Amino acid sequence: MAVAEQVKNVLEARGLVKKFGKKTALAGIALNIREGDFTGLLGPNGAGKTTTIKMLTGLIKPTAGEIYYYGRDFFTHPRDAKRCIGVVPQQSNVDRDLTAYENLYLHSILYGIPKKQRRGKIEEALEFAGLREYGHRQVKTFSGGMKRRLVLVRALLHGPKILFLDEPTVGLDPQIRKNIWDLILKINQRKGMAILLTTHYIEEAEKLCRSTYIIDKGRIIAEGSPDDLKKDMGRYVLELFLEDRIEEEFFSSKDDALTRLKECGHACKIRQVTLEDVFIKLTGKRINV
Amino acid sequence: MFNGFRGILYRELNVFRKRAKKQILASSLSPLLFLIAFGWGFGDRVAVNGLPYITFLIPGLITMSSLNQSYGIAQELNITRFYFHVFDEYLIAPISHVEIVLGEAAYGMFKGLLSTVLIFVYSVIFSVKLIVGPMFFIAILTHTFLFTTLGITIAMLVKDHGDQATVNTFVITPMIFLSGTFFPVDKLPAVFKWLVYALPLTYSTKVIRATLTGGDVNMSYFLLMLGFAAAFFVTALRAVGRVEG
Ligand SMILES: Nc1ncnc2c1ncn2[C@@H]1O[C@H](COP(=O)(O)OP(=O)(O)OP(=O)(O)O)[C@@H](O)[C@H]1O
Ligand SMILES: [Mg+2]
Repeated sequence: MAVAEQVKNVLEARGLVKKFGKKTALAGIALNIREGDFTGLLGPNGAGKTTTIKMLTGLIKPTAGEIYYYGRDFFTHPRDAKRCIGVVPQQSNVDRDLTAYENLYLHSILYGIPKKQRRGKIEEALEFAGLREYGHRQVKTFSGGMKRRLVLVRALLHGPKILFLDEPTVGLDPQIRKNIWDLILKINQRKGMAILLTTHYIEEAEKLCRSTYIIDKGRIIAEGSPDDLKKDMGRYVLELFLEDRIEEEFFSSKDDALTRLKECGHACKIRQVTLEDVFIKLTGKRINV
Repeated sequence: MFNGFRGILYRELNVFRKRAKKQILASSLSPLLFLIAFGWGFGDRVAVNGLPYITFLIPGLITMSSLNQSYGIAQELNITRFYFHVFDEYLIAPISHVEIVLGEAAYGMFKGLLSTVLIFVYSVIFSVKLIVGPMFFIAILTHTFLFTTLGITIAMLVKDHGDQATVNTFVITPMIFLSGTFFPVDKLPAVFKWLVYALPLTYSTKVIRATLTGGDVNMSYFLLMLGFAAAFFVTALRAVGRVEG
């Protein structure tokens, strides 16, 4: 496709390895993110998602491997790369001893936002996060959801080209989760910002991500759009309700599934394959929420 | 340029501003207790190295108190690093490690100098005459820089809060008591002298006391202070690099 070829690569990573002492957390990972991409990094606990994000954002150094932002080496040009990166870490690392406004102001200094623009940008960010009335309150007094939204707009303040989100909605109630996903989607659509996120909520990833990497034990075990991954498994699942467990069989057409349903002689049910099925089949694990 | 330096100083001073009253009050208490106990307690009856004891003591309290404050930022760095991960925000930002170290060091020095001013106020109250010349300023700046970079180094190397407390108990507190803050180290038995002359505080105390009481400043001691300062700056820089893992 001629159009697709014109889209620039924001991030390219090859052969990323990370060892903590003897333990290998990542055993060679390659990623490719283009402008405007919405990519999910899915995997069970301890798969290496956070380690991957920390490495891509410069928080830890890889044991081996290469990282390029816009084709330039991350390790020889860290400043240029870091300017185009926004990060929402797994733990909300806002400064509890500062107000929301001061948190954003600190960020604007660190990222060299010109003094004249700071105030306007910060007010816009607080508005976007729905925190306008809370700007001058100490972050100590914020709820988890408010902190999360603050971290999110802080990561956006300097206008990054790629946004990393590590479990942006974990531990939040459904209402606020939806609210945060809406914000993220808006960012991706309006600003064309590339997004790489990890999440435990596979249903949500399935709805939002246009491409996914499934990672397990430090390796990428599958990649592609949610649709392609599902197609590879078969579009339909037949759930057989056995005495002690539920068994799943996969079919590429509904007719095949129906034929099997008629002959199986157990209580059973047909439904469409979800990304979660793909995930469980590949990793052998149900994801822990 | 210097975005990192300015950003970190903005953060630290803002947090400090909110706690200033409590912090200043807390840091002013212990030197006052020392002054009452030893200064008034001994009064004019005791003379050390030809000085009234209280005149000998006050420069010691200045080095002790400013060390406590400058080095003490280690405690704060620890909390921001381990509990709130605020430090990650610096590591991810497009700023250099040199700026991180200098930003934190400037804050540590600010706190050290503040406590120095406080003791000058005490010296007026206790009517102790001190001589404040340019060499004193150079020495106190070197002294606070030296101990704040030591604090940064240790805060970055320790694995948790408990380790930090251990270092304080086994290194910092003994150093404060042995390095001539309260008594002239030359009276110590030979074995101890070896130990004492390995500690940077010994030189700080000697140089700063000499500048304030009109004694001769031993230039080689001052050069040693500069040496320690340079060494701890390098270790702080390396330690910040190691945090990135
Ligand atoms: N600093 C560290 N020292 C030693 N081992 C580590 C360190 N950080 C991570 N690990 C190990 O590396 C592996 C990957 O961890 P990571 O945090 O990247 O997983 P994750 O996919 O983000 O998991 P979760 O879904 O629980 O957040 C784990 O086995 C973890 O124990
Ligand atoms: Mg994680």
